[in-house]
Amino acid sequence: MVTTAVACGGGGTESSAPKAPATVPELTKDPLTLSFIWFDWPPAHALEDFANAEYTKERPNVTIKVNTVPNANWHDAMFTQFAAHKTDFDIPILDSQHIGEAVTNGNILDITDFVKKNIDVNAYNPYLLAAYGQFPQAETGKRDENASLYGLPLLGDTWTMIYRKDLIGDKPPQTWDEMISVAEKCQADNPGVSGLAFHQANGSDAAAVTYNTVNGVYGGNLWDAKSRKINGVLNDAAGQEAMDVLVNKMKPLTAKGSGNWFIDEVNAAVAQGKACIAFNWIAASGALLDPKQSTLGTTREQILEKLGFATLPTQKTNLVPLGGMGMHVSAYSSEEKQAEALNFMKWFEQADIQKKWAAAGGVPSRTDALESPEFLNAGPFNKVYADSVPRMRDMWNVPEYARLVDIENTNVNAALNGAKSPKDALDDIAKEQQSVLDSSNRKGGGGL
Amino acid sequence: MSDSASLTTDHPGQAASTTPPARGRSRRLSDRWLAVVFISPALLLLLAMSVFPLLWALYLSFTDYSATRGGPANFVWFENYTAILASAQVHLRALTTLIYVIGAVALQTVLGFTIAYLISRRTHGRGLLTTLFLVPMMLSPVVVGLFWRFMLDAQFGVINSMLGSLGLGQVEWLTRQQTALFSLIVVDTWQWTPFIMLIALAGLTAVPKYLYEAASIDRASEWFRFRTITLPLVWPLLLIAVLFRAIEAFRLFDLVYILTSGGPGVSTETLSFHVYKVAFLGFNTGTASAYGILMVLVVIVLTQLYLRYLNKLKED
Repeated sequence: MVTTAVACGGGGTESSAPKAPATVPELTKDPLTLSFIWFDWPPAHALEDFANAEYTKERPNVTIKVNTVPNANWHDAMFTQFAAHKTDFDIPILDSQHIGEAVTNGNILDITDFVKKNIDVNAYNPYLLAAYGQFPQAETGKRDENASLYGLPLLGDTWTMIYRKDLIGDKPPQTWDEMISVAEKCQADNPGVSGLAFHQANGSDAAAVTYNTVNGVYGGNLWDAKSRKINGVLNDAAGQEAMDVLVNKMKPLTAKGSGNWFIDEVNAAVAQGKACIAFNWIAASGALLDPKQSTLGTTREQILEKLGFATLPTQKTNLVPLGGMGMHVSAYSSEEKQAEALNFMKWFEQADIQKKWAAAGGVPSRTDALESPEFLNAGPFNKVYADSVPRMRDMWNVPEYARLVDIENTNVNAALNGAKSPKDALDDIAKEQQSVLDSSNRKGGGGL
Repeated sequence: MSDSASLTTDHPGQAASTTPPARGRSRRLSDRWLAVVFISPALLLLLAMSVFPLLWALYLSFTDYSATRGGPANFVWFENYTAILASAQVHLRALTTLIYVIGAVALQTVLGFTIAYLISRRTHGRGLLTTLFLVPMMLSPVVVGLFWRFMLDAQFGVINSMLGSLGLGQVEWLTRQQTALFSLIVVDTWQWTPFIMLIALAGLTAVPKYLYEAASIDRASEWFRFRTITLPLVWPLLLIAVLFRAIEAFRLFDLVYILTSGGPGVSTETLSFHVYKVAFLGFNTGTASAYGILMVLVVIVLTQLYLRYLNKLKED
């Protein structure tokens, strides 16, 4: 496969990503294993099963292997292999914010020409296409037609509010303030059940996403992307109010010792009937309906009598966090595997395959698939996703992402667990993140 | 054959002295060559796996190299070192590590020696007891971290459940600043006290019995015998165990990673954990290399001081 180094325009962000061909090269007839890398969670297993069942109908000589690592090691597992310029995976599934780092290091293929020739871009909500593939980031929430694309959507996701219908009623709270007061009352009325459950851990992006969500809802901003300014933006009045709400109003309604909770712990609290209202990623919510893992009922129907799923409450804005991931092509895979990877992506993004993926438990990104009965009827939370798409906001998609999110995670976690005051934590985040952005070209001592 | 023939002459001594020196030298050279052949695989492995990476890390520590960004490694000379030594973030992690090392090693030494002393006084079941005490040491730190994480869970952990049955309240072992570092020390102590115990037990077993017999004849008290016979003879061996444990504790990573991820906030982030973040979150390979080299230097300097003290103790 002929690849060339190109410069990526816009934002002053240089790309050294090699270019993929515009059309899928000739595919091998020999047995071939196409390897993905993702973190260990239900969608990863669903993808492997789905792809092996469906893709092999078209390409019987291909086996799909989805390698998984613990969530906390996900970034390291991919980027240490990128650093070695040798990967044991062909399709890395990157978080949307990882794209900048991978593109500037030349770790994944530029598939702009391939997308133009093979993908119907009008079939997608433009922001989803941009979020999972475009670099530089779609700051405005709109896709930049002139920006390069480095990936295609694999799994859409956002937070859903999970609430106990039997404890707080069928109608979910509509505003954030109302949600807090409902949770407060529920906790008081039901000893042993905490008002809220949400991500607070300092690993991965757990606590950071929680703060970013509240920040967005209360009208705050993570940064001014054009001037690359964080200090003074993140910790402005809206940001301070969001941190105050999170630490002083929401945290007291959580279970004792929940300061290190992430996806599994929140799900466990809900499944064991220990939380009135919880927030979790939609793609990880399927387990809540499994009677084997729940004390809320012995059948899915019984559980659904008690559990409700709703879009996040609004306050000053209606923003929700963008989750999910795109699939990309490793620049270090063999030519025949890169060709197979491109063919897989082309296959996966077809309308009928997206609907089948939806029925198999995936969250598609094509608008027709999102509106299809296959998707909307596959889970009670799928409508929440479809309704949330126009409300999504992502984090910074810059090469320094891993350090920015670590700073935010550790400081929000410190505030939630009483190791720092909310104001100090927010000011420290703004100051330290600004210093990371400002010292991108620093010589010596970088990374401290 | 001619040599054996000459041995039958009347001048065997002369015959022996006329053995050609070249043959002996050639045999010696051959032995040396054999020695080189035998040693070289291990030597090459050591060079490839330890010496070369160390020298490479030393070289990178003077550059701004990043493993993911690639490109040339530009020399920044001592800038990485000065930045690390002047960093408040590093000072904070150094303090955390120091508290951890002192707390964990002190606790393990006291407990390990006490257990060894009690076991050494037993005549029956000593072997079984020693083996049982050694079990934690044989487990992987990741496994230990995972099951202690469950045991220390504030909501459903067995520790809080036991405290609850005693009428005590729930403790947030891993999510509060005051208890998280203490929990790490406790878990490390649970796993590594047996190591100190083992070394101390070896020392206690080696104390000559006649010293105790002599002390008994002189009607020396138990405390007197411990203070003047047991402790002075076991002390040097115990100090070596302390040295090993201190070096191990200084580079603690796995338990922190599994139990607290360095939290709450960064309050349980040790130096090793911080190096990991510098190396793999931002892939600042040059800085991380300098950080690692500085940690090695600290260990070498402290070990040298310690060994000098041990030698002085031996001389005294």
